Amino acid sequence: MRKAYLILLLLISISGLSQNKQILYNFTSVPQSLSTNPGADFKYNYYFGVPLLSGISLNVGSTGFSTYDLFANDGVDFNLKMRNVLASTSRKDKVSINEQIELFTGGFKVGDWQDHAYVSFGMYQEFDFLSYMPKDLAILALDGNKDHIGKVFNFADLNLKTEMLSVLHIGYNKNIRENLIVGARGKIYSSIFNATSTNNSGYIYTNLGTSTAYEQVIYSNSQLNTSGISAYIDEDSDVDTVSDIQKKTLLGGNLGLGFDLGFTYYPKKNIQITASVLDVGFIKHSKEVERFTYKGLYKYEGVNPSFNGVDDPRSIYQEFKDAIPLDTIYTKYTTWRPAKFNASYQYSFNDSRGADCNCINNDAAYKNAVGAQLFVMTAPRAPIMALTGYYRRNVLDNLQLKATYTVDSYSFTNIGLGLSTNIGKFNMYVLADNLLEYRDISKANSLSFQFGLNFIFEDNNEPF
Amino acid sequence: MIKYHLYTILGTILLPFFLFSCSSDLDFNQANDLRLEPVIVGNLTYFDIAAHQFVENGVEKNLLFDAQDFDVFRDSFLRQNLKRADFSFEITNTINRSYSFDLNLIDQNDAVIYTIRMDVPASNGTAVIIDKTEIFENAKLELLKASRRLEFVLVMAAGPALSENSLGSLKLKSHATVYLVIE
Repeated sequence: MRKAYLILLLLISISGLSQNKQILYNFTSVPQSLSTNPGADFKYNYYFGVPLLSGISLNVGSTGFSTYDLFANDGVDFNLKMRNVLASTSRKDKVSINEQIELFTGGFKVGDWQDHAYVSFGMYQEFDFLSYMPKDLAILALDGNKDHIGKVFNFADLNLKTEMLSVLHIGYNKNIRENLIVGARGKIYSSIFNATSTNNSGYIYTNLGTSTAYEQVIYSNSQLNTSGISAYIDEDSDVDTVSDIQKKTLLGGNLGLGFDLGFTYYPKKNIQITASVLDVGFIKHSKEVERFTYKGLYKYEGVNPSFNGVDDPRSIYQEFKDAIPLDTIYTKYTTWRPAKFNASYQYSFNDSRGADCNCINNDAAYKNAVGAQLFVMTAPRAPIMALTGYYRRNVLDNLQLKATYTVDSYSFTNIGLGLSTNIGKFNMYVLADNLLEYRDISKANSLSFQFGLNFIFEDNNEPF
Repeated sequence: MIKYHLYTILGTILLPFFLFSCSSDLDFNQANDLRLEPVIVGNLTYFDIAAHQFVENGVEKNLLFDAQDFDVFRDSFLRQNLKRADFSFEITNTINRSYSFDLNLIDQNDAVIYTIRMDVPASNGTAVIIDKTEIFENAKLELLKASRRLEFVLVMAAGPALSENSLGSLKLKSHATVYLVIE
């Protein structure tokens, strides 16, 4: 069991979080594009998603190494592979997992046929995990300090967070001018569990000493905040995990508030600019809170005789535990959701309606579009960024395609493809990126996959 | 017609994945082979006694004695994973007297279960440096793990008289090298 924990620790240590949905963003034939921009140019009379199947998305990334590097069945000793992975990664490398499942979603048009105002709502469950490579701690665990005299091991390398939450949201989207759509979405977060250890500092070092053999100092200012976890890890707990998670999903967890904002603007008929900011919000953790702190300074000199004739035995073990105590506190804390920023610029061509159409702007009318997107997300250290170029084509009236090329810290060769099709009122979409990596999935540094099923009743723009 | 479309489109979407997606042979059970072998060095003990400290009120003290708790093995993690420990000592004598130094490992019944002895010749003006390394492995390691206290016994042999103005010192530096195997 201990091994499993160590592996978990290692994997955690080697993690990061990207929630870039570059294919879904501004892919407005899919209702879920509203979740990446509440001001997306998506028109409907009403729509609803197939419950539990309307939006499933999985996003896994690792900048420093792949599954293959660690688990290839190639006869090489696992410990050697681990050392190689450790040697080839830095403290900036990260592993991330993001998963979202829409429980339900829907939307409807409000006002009369001339109004272009839309309401969308829904609830989804999300799991996030992000960890940087705890390089120094891993070196210490693998090698010890004997061959690293003089090296200062940095405790700030331990930087991770994980959370499961449900999000209930409602959004409003309106054409405030013919060429400008704005939207906003309010969100209520219900955190099922959270573990955050992102503000650690401290060090441990061993230098050659003068009077003692070594000068050894450990300083720690580390903290792990958790909420909603104690009931699951306590062996004496008789909590029914499944029903507990269900209860917390339905707003019974630690609650928070947030919002999304976005717009779509057409400076010219065939030029489109969009931007959105998502998940500006916080969660207040007040229930089932356990915060572990490990704070203090200790200079270790050894077990030393005093020779002064006084019997004053000191306990080094106790001294250490007193100097850097492991404390548990139960006061509430606040976490911020990782905020995301998206922006795009798109040029459309081949208007299928003819050049002098005077109808309302809608980029869906064009057969082809090319564009560029920027994605930025806040992370415990530096923001995570990605740049995407894309080509969108309406292959048939009911089949849209979007191809993307994305450059980010995970990969320079990320090619993605999205397909959305309408069969009658039935809409189905599949989006996947890093297609080149499908040649050997185990060597992929990042993969994302989304699909979903919806029923869309289109806005026919007619009085009846 | 709709059905036909559905199949075509589904096929178009899924075919590339099935055709081109593959994975190298992976073996996640390798994780069970995980074996950490850190080697840790740390201070063990030190002292620095000036020559005049062997004289009290004009009378030589020939025996210095102290005992300290040595309770690191109360930690079960260390008890389970310790495979070997090396204790390295270096005594530097610049006093014109010879000494014998005993480090006794004492168990919970107050019995001496192991003694590390170092004999230190007198200094004739230049520093006398004595090194010793004691390796605890296998059965000997069990003795170390059973230790609860360290007893320091320093005996000064007969020789030229010391006064409260005598120069020189007796210094001990020591460190432990601890070999852990965590599986």
